[in-house]
Amino acid sequence: MSSTETVIGENIQSGADTPHSKGWLRAFDGPLTRDLLLSPGGFGLGRVPSKDKPDATTTSVCGYCSTGCSLNLHLKDGEAISLSPNTNYPVNLGMACPKGWEALTVLDAPDRATTPLLRDAGGKLQPVDWDTALKTFVARMQGIQSRHGPESVAFISTGQMPTEEMALLGSLAKFGMGIKHGDGNTRQCMATAVVAYKQSFGFDAPPYTYADFEESDTIVLVGSNLCLAHPIMWERVMRNKNKPEIIVVDPRRTETAMAATLHLPLAPKSDMDLFYGIARILIERGWIDREFIDAHTNGFAEFAEFVQPFTLDRVVTATGLSADTIERFATLIHAGKRVSFWWTMGVNQSYQGVRTAQALINLALMTGNIGKPGTGANSITGQCNAMGSRLFSNTTGLLGGHDFANADHRAKVAGILGIDEARIPREASWAYHEILEGVLKGKIHGLWIICTNPAHSWINQRLCHDILDRVEFLVVQDMYHSTETAQRAHLVLPAAGWAEKDGTFINSERRFGVLKKVRRAPGQALSDFSIFRLIADAWGCGKMFDRWDSPESAFQILKQLSAGQPCDITGIENYRMIEERGGIQWPFAKGAGSGASGEQERRLFADGRFYHPDGRAKFLFEAPRPMPEPASAKYPFVLLTGRGSASQWHTQTRTSKSEVLRKLYPQHLYVEINPTDARSLGVRPNDTVSVESQRGRVVAQAFVTPSVLIGQVYIPMHEANANQLTDAVFDPYSKQPNYKSCAVRVTRVGA
Amino acid sequence: MSVTLPETTGSDRLAGGVSPPVDRMSFDHEPTGGLTPPARQEFDGQTLLARLLSDQQQLTAVEQFARQHDDGALPAQSRYYKSLIPASPPGPGQQFAFEVDLDRCSGCKACVTACHSLNGLDQGETWRDVGMLIGGTTELPVLQHVTTACHHCIEPGCMSACPVDAYEKDPVTGIVKHLDDQCFGCQYCILACPYEVPKYHSGLGIVRKCDMCSDRLAHGEAPACVQACPHEAIAIRIVNLSQVIEDSEANVFLPAAPDPQITLPTTTYKSSKVFPRNLLPVDFHSVSTQHPHWPLIVMLVLTQFSVGSFLVGLGLERLLSAELVSAIRPLHSLSALAFGLLALAASTLHLGRPQYAWRAVIGLRHSWLSREIVVFGAFAGAAILYAAGSWFGFESVGLGPILHDAVGWSVGAFGLCGVFCSVMIYAFTQRAFWSFPLTATRFALTTMLLGIAATWVTLLALAVINNGPVTRLLIRRGDLVCEGLMIVTVTKLAFEALIFRHLLRKQTTPLKRSALLMTGPLVRWTQARFALGLIGGLLMPAILRTLIGDVAPSSPSMLATSAALFVACLAGELLERYLFFAAVAAPRMPGTLRG
Repeated sequence: MSSTETVIGENIQSGADTPHSKGWLRAFDGPLTRDLLLSPGGFGLGRVPSKDKPDATTTSVCGYCSTGCSLNLHLKDGEAISLSPNTNYPVNLGMACPKGWEALTVLDAPDRATTPLLRDAGGKLQPVDWDTALKTFVARMQGIQSRHGPESVAFISTGQMPTEEMALLGSLAKFGMGIKHGDGNTRQCMATAVVAYKQSFGFDAPPYTYADFEESDTIVLVGSNLCLAHPIMWERVMRNKNKPEIIVVDPRRTETAMAATLHLPLAPKSDMDLFYGIARILIERGWIDREFIDAHTNGFAEFAEFVQPFTLDRVVTATGLSADTIERFATLIHAGKRVSFWWTMGVNQSYQGVRTAQALINLALMTGNIGKPGTGANSITGQCNAMGSRLFSNTTGLLGGHDFANADHRAKVAGILGIDEARIPREASWAYHEILEGVLKGKIHGLWIICTNPAHSWINQRLCHDILDRVEFLVVQDMYHSTETAQRAHLVLPAAGWAEKDGTFINSERRFGVLKKVRRAPGQALSDFSIFRLIADAWGCGKMFDRWDSPESAFQILKQLSAGQPCDITGIENYRMIEERGGIQWPFAKGAGSGASGEQERRLFADGRFYHPDGRAKFLFEAPRPMPEPASAKYPFVLLTGRGSASQWHTQTRTSKSEVLRKLYPQHLYVEINPTDARSLGVRPNDTVSVESQRGRVVAQAFVTPSVLIGQVYIPMHEANANQLTDAVFDPYSKQPNYKSCAVRVTRVGA
Repeated sequence: MSVTLPETTGSDRLAGGVSPPVDRMSFDHEPTGGLTPPARQEFDGQTLLARLLSDQQQLTAVEQFARQHDDGALPAQSRYYKSLIPASPPGPGQQFAFEVDLDRCSGCKACVTACHSLNGLDQGETWRDVGMLIGGTTELPVLQHVTTACHHCIEPGCMSACPVDAYEKDPVTGIVKHLDDQCFGCQYCILACPYEVPKYHSGLGIVRKCDMCSDRLAHGEAPACVQACPHEAIAIRIVNLSQVIEDSEANVFLPAAPDPQITLPTTTYKSSKVFPRNLLPVDFHSVSTQHPHWPLIVMLVLTQFSVGSFLVGLGLERLLSAELVSAIRPLHSLSALAFGLLALAASTLHLGRPQYAWRAVIGLRHSWLSREIVVFGAFAGAAILYAAGSWFGFESVGLGPILHDAVGWSVGAFGLCGVFCSVMIYAFTQRAFWSFPLTATRFALTTMLLGIAATWVTLLALAVINNGPVTRLLIRRGDLVCEGLMIVTVTKLAFEALIFRHLLRKQTTPLKRSALLMTGPLVRWTQARFALGLIGGLLMPAILRTLIGDVAPSSPSMLATSAALFVACLAGELLERYLFFAAVAAPRMPGTLRG
């Protein structure tokens, strides 16, 4: 074999002859070969496809989940042609999940909204120009307000938009348009953590940094399938050099449970019993940090008394776990030098989520596992900018983590924004479900939904559809005109998406990251920021937002709003500074930046001072309540819902647009069912089954697997009809929906 | 890290107009109260709209974040993957191989998307897959994701099968590489690979596959999947060939994966877990029909038709007078030839790039597909010679009458060899439904069945055009032809029906899967196949037997029944061959949940 034929390994000595080398008969080169040729990409990228060689690169944080990975965008003539994960970023260390890898692909979908659409007399959505759309928006919304009062129009926003856009929307709606009620889809994912933190710590403050995953020796994951939901956080767990104990509390045998050193497959919604029982054991055995408790917390004595009835027997009965397993859990918490407690939707999406989260916070507080490397009571956020929404959406809280009810706060905000203080409402908005109920009660007539898809994602879907169909004027602002919600709208406003606009996201560990405009939005689509400015202008309150000239000027306003707050970011100069520092975690007050306050990975409460006026954290607790809809003779299974795969995002408006991602998950609804249950129902693998609750019925493929316990079934949330089954029950404090437990029956179709 | 630009470019190039400058604030100063442009009040709704729409189309990230970049450094990511690739090339008796640490594979599937993206694959094209195994008990359930790509086998099925030598196994690294410009898109490698590795790209008309990012490895970079696995589950290691062979004896490759003895895959799957015995792929219970390959169906049936016609004709000639032989031979050989040529034409339709069909001879030394093409080519040549001789006399084509028979028998011999090569093409894949005995029996019976049917049609046609001797032969001996057809038909249908006995098995064997497919998703095809077989090979000949002697060969009932016989037999065999392709259970790596 001649050397020219050796395609690979120029620097490797050639060995023996191949069995059938006929060089002259074989085409070693040509257009097809060159189609896949690689060449050095430059910019530290390594080899890239020659056809996609960039002439510049930039970075942007990803727009899916709250991990906040940084992606290298490969640019040609200023436009992103492909991407790869950013190695030099403290979050993802050069990795991304499939959604991130395919983030640009989904921008090219044929169902992008490219022009405003207005429902005509015949009930069809027809393209109109922006001018008509804006005039219609203003005329209809103002008409409703003049007939029913300013509060009769509400908005529902998102955790998927940049902070600057959220802030502009919240300010425009409440201060400019006189809207009182607005909420975000963050109600569906993070509200519980927000309230739990506010009550316990005095501020909505996730205390951790991702380095804690690597520094723990004991990692407790509750209701969190990190492997699929946050693969890049799991990366950090996998890089932990301490051979950590990984304890997973989850009814299902998830990927994460498989990788755990101890899995506690407890009965659904028995978490509080378990954690109170653990607290009792820790107290009984003196496995607590008395010094920390005395110096930095309130309410421990009451808590210690409260947990007394949670005896091992009681916890065994409530959870279905063995006494040994529970004892081992307590022992591991005690044995760990650096114990971190992490929770996600299994805790948040519950009718008693706040108290469950606080039961975990209590465990961290009483063992002194907070404020130190590898510790914490840590809520893992869902959406890319849920944290931005929590601080700056101006819905439940006033801009910048302020309080609508606090006159000083109102004065401060009014002063910074240069608006009349009277324009700031004195109370928080209704929560998401209260806004929807407001439609039913005839109080809400106009609804503006931005960057979210409630017709798919909201609990008890049939009722939700009924409510949306009753709205007199429904405006949906989205990247795609095809979402289940957009299809019900009277007016669709076409929005630019991630990579088509600038702004910042705040990730789970409080890190600001910059996203950039590296793609041209299709047709007449505009960034949400621009749409809000146009609406302000058309509404007649444009002058109020003159200073909101660009996302970055809005960012400067947000900085001012944060001054003196726990989330103070006055020390961040501009986007470039965020970029150059690999993202910046709040707090970052003026003067920060050197020493401990400027470190790239920082955690809160190192000094033991919390945000309550007395600087102490609170022990909060409450008796567990029974499941709102337990299994019954008629509906004998408990339905759990959750994520299907790492390639799917929520209602799939984006992820279903990538052919590669579509190959990575099942193309139809399936239901996981235990082999024992399947046998007794006469269901064989792959049979078509009906899953029915009091509210609806879906048909699904049976996935017979021992990873769900007997008496439970599991359905991923990504198929549009999954929420026909779920039951609209809410946490009384956080108003977060209880997605993860309702009663269903399963029957074989055709049986 | 900001926007990074090559040192040689920089602001000059940018000023050259990456995108037009826009009126946005600079990063160098903080905004002040006087931020609002003085002309701001001029903007009414329309001009603000126009400005925002224009702004939306400006891409300014490069200008805002441009920084010089120091080129020539190692790829940034190398600091994470350095330990995941070998530092030196493999020695003699060794090669590169994937190593997958199952304990670290969490099922995120980033490897699939990274491979797609970093290799510049077309929309929807993927070279890596992630499947899932489940098993265990409710007390201790086990689930395991499995990432898989090409196993760069020691004896690659794809390479042996390829008729154009579009594969080569690198003598040093052992990487099995596909030469895209050499491929003519026959897709035989797809059938020959037990792991579904080569993927057909219909747009390009060729197959493409994983080459372990050989170009990256040659330059000290890790393959895309290795670079991109957040959990460092995939690595490139050096394996000893003898060890791979030894390991294949114990069949410890991966639970529920195809037998490693077929191709000796080099990937190592390692795990600290003890897998339960009931560990199965989540798609184990899915039976899905395979691609039917219509050009191949037509090609196989018609080549066997043609070969059968010649063979039955040659056999018949042994029993007949010279007068009858010279009466029958021209028409019979011509029709047999016509179907043979049609078959060969049909086969080229199967190629993604038929203009390179000539390359098929290249792989003669190892590829049964090459051999089939060459042998059937010789068959066609001999058949043309034979048919021409039959029509024009052998003298006219330069052959003496002595060679007359010799050419005839060589046609038969080439035909039989061709059919044998066809059998071997499928037997080589080691799929149970395509095993040598099953496929050989199937193809041999088709050859006989269609040969007899064709012979009947020839005899009838000659009788109709009023050839006295043939008419007498038909009346005297026609019932024998009918009976022969009926016997072969019954034998063949009974043989085909034997597959259904596998339905009784408890274990879902590959043959049971075929039976499940034929009685499940393919049941209509199965019913049609057996109905046509019974009509064409049993009912029609039975009717003809009663008609012979009673009615003239040219009578409508005779013609109609014979036409029905021919069409039903041919259609029945085409359906049989459709099921042959569609109902085969292909071995595969663990997959994902499917319907």
